[in-house]
Amino acid sequence: MAGIWIFGETRERTLELLTAGTSLAEASGQTVSVILRGDESLVKEYLSRGADEIMILPEIAGDQPLEGYVPVIAGEAARLSPDLVLFPATTRGREMAARIASCLNTGLCSDCTAVSWNPESEAFECERLAYGGAAVQKIAFTAQPAMATIPPRTYGPAPAKETGEGALRHLPEPPPSPVRIVERKKRERSARDIRDARIIVAAGRGFVKQEDLEIARSLAEALGGEIACTRPLSEEYHWLPDELCIGLSGISVKPQLYIGLGISGQIQHITGIRDAGLIAAVNKDENAPIFQMADLGIVGDLYRVVPELIAEIRKARGE
Amino acid sequence: MPNMIACFKWVVDEAYVRSGASGDLDLSSVDYKISDYDKNALEEAVAVRERSGGVVTAVTVGVPEAGKGVKDALSRGPDKAFFIRDPAFRDLEPSQTAAIMAEVIRDRIPFDLILCGEGSSDLYARQVGPRLAEILGIPCLTGVQKISIEGTRLVAERRTEEGVDVAETVLPALVTVLPDINTPRIPGVRDTLMASKKETTVIGMDDLPSLPGDTMKTLSMKTASLKRQGVRFTAERDDVAAFVDALVRKGVLE
Repeated sequence: MAGIWIFGETRERTLELLTAGTSLAEASGQTVSVILRGDESLVKEYLSRGADEIMILPEIAGDQPLEGYVPVIAGEAARLSPDLVLFPATTRGREMAARIASCLNTGLCSDCTAVSWNPESEAFECERLAYGGAAVQKIAFTAQPAMATIPPRTYGPAPAKETGEGALRHLPEPPPSPVRIVERKKRERSARDIRDARIIVAAGRGFVKQEDLEIARSLAEALGGEIACTRPLSEEYHWLPDELCIGLSGISVKPQLYIGLGISGQIQHITGIRDAGLIAAVNKDENAPIFQMADLGIVGDLYRVVPELIAEIRKARGE
Repeated sequence: MPNMIACFKWVVDEAYVRSGASGDLDLSSVDYKISDYDKNALEEAVAVRERSGGVVTAVTVGVPEAGKGVKDALSRGPDKAFFIRDPAFRDLEPSQTAAIMAEVIRDRIPFDLILCGEGSSDLYARQVGPRLAEILGIPCLTGVQKISIEGTRLVAERRTEEGVDVAETVLPALVTVLPDINTPRIPGVRDTLMASKKETTVIGMDDLPSLPGDTMKTLSMKTASLKRQGVRFTAERDDVAAFVDALVRKGVLE
């Protein structure tokens, strides 16, 4: 029994995976190990938040990609046979997990929304979304180690515990990677982080031109909320930055109120708002799928409805 | 001149997925399509050929009915196709798809660059690309939004959580592409006619060594419950007021 391993890509993601890892460890009677890269000052924090062991990766040259660690982690897993290996479902975490799973001839459950231990079958089980979010797939692992990637913010950060003791171990140097990073361009955040916004007004293809997004902005302003959009508006038209794109290929949000304007309701977008408190929609097509998934809907032209909506909101607030 | 392989999957169009009795997935009246991001992989392979020459081979693993997808793929510009098919290839795991593709590609298709979509529209596991690269022992770059090739050098822009990494490697290599790398063409009548004249190599189970076993078991596949209250209003002034009143009563207006 070599326990549950967590790949520690960043502090934030690692604390989330520690929440999942420690509860699974408790249920299955295992230990939790974190594979730490970089900042050794995190050793203490991870140990105090439930890790039993820290495996420290050696530093690599600045032009080496994170994926360069794949042979080291795969080698260590082949040697020690962990029971479960968790990665954050980030660009790099997903790639590393898939390649390591391939090296180990084992299964990987991608983007798990829940991981659990089944005491009867003594196996780990996972849930994930399929068909753009239209279905929930539940799987059990039949090979070892079980591997899973978990989307950011699926779990909250692990709380600090009283004991902060554990073992430390250094992992070997990786071979040079065939991929070299020649430049790292940091993203300048061009929009606010809306993942914790209380109210979100999202714009869809029903908007005819970019200037018209003012309509959505005014509604957001009247409600004290933030603006967001569907994928075509950010990726195809580039009207709004990627950070504001809600859905399977964008961000997931959980506002108290979501209002979709001119959004048809493709499942990939809806998946990103499934945890919203109240879903409202304005669309002129009464057959738009979004009405099937909304709590409140107005069938009408957003260009006509939204100004009236703003007026009514102001009235309701006694403004 | 680089030889490209563009991998694609013929998938259920998720827009047709319905909820059957007891929440089970009803796939009885679905339509099929080439997985969305795989269209970007096909398009990018063809775009590289248009710039640098070479040959583009489209490759898929699937059930015999996916033959329609092979025609569709060929109408998007590849020179030829490999169709690896068997009725047993319906619910393959990513590990199995990658193993089958690697087996066929290794001995039968010369390549410098393999292009895959970032993930399939049905299961979106995003594993086949990196697993395929690992089995073939070639460099892998996922989440790619731009590529350029100079001789045997590949430079790729890769989108990460922090920004964009410009990475370089030496061919042969594999990339998985994001949807914003290009806009896939819409095939015309002439493209469709030309597609039926292109060469397709069909490979069956008998031509392959035995499949690797399952590593996971699907316990259930249920429709996700997205049901909400579904209260409708018209665009009339009174109704808009009633809508706002509902927001007030729900306590979401402060």
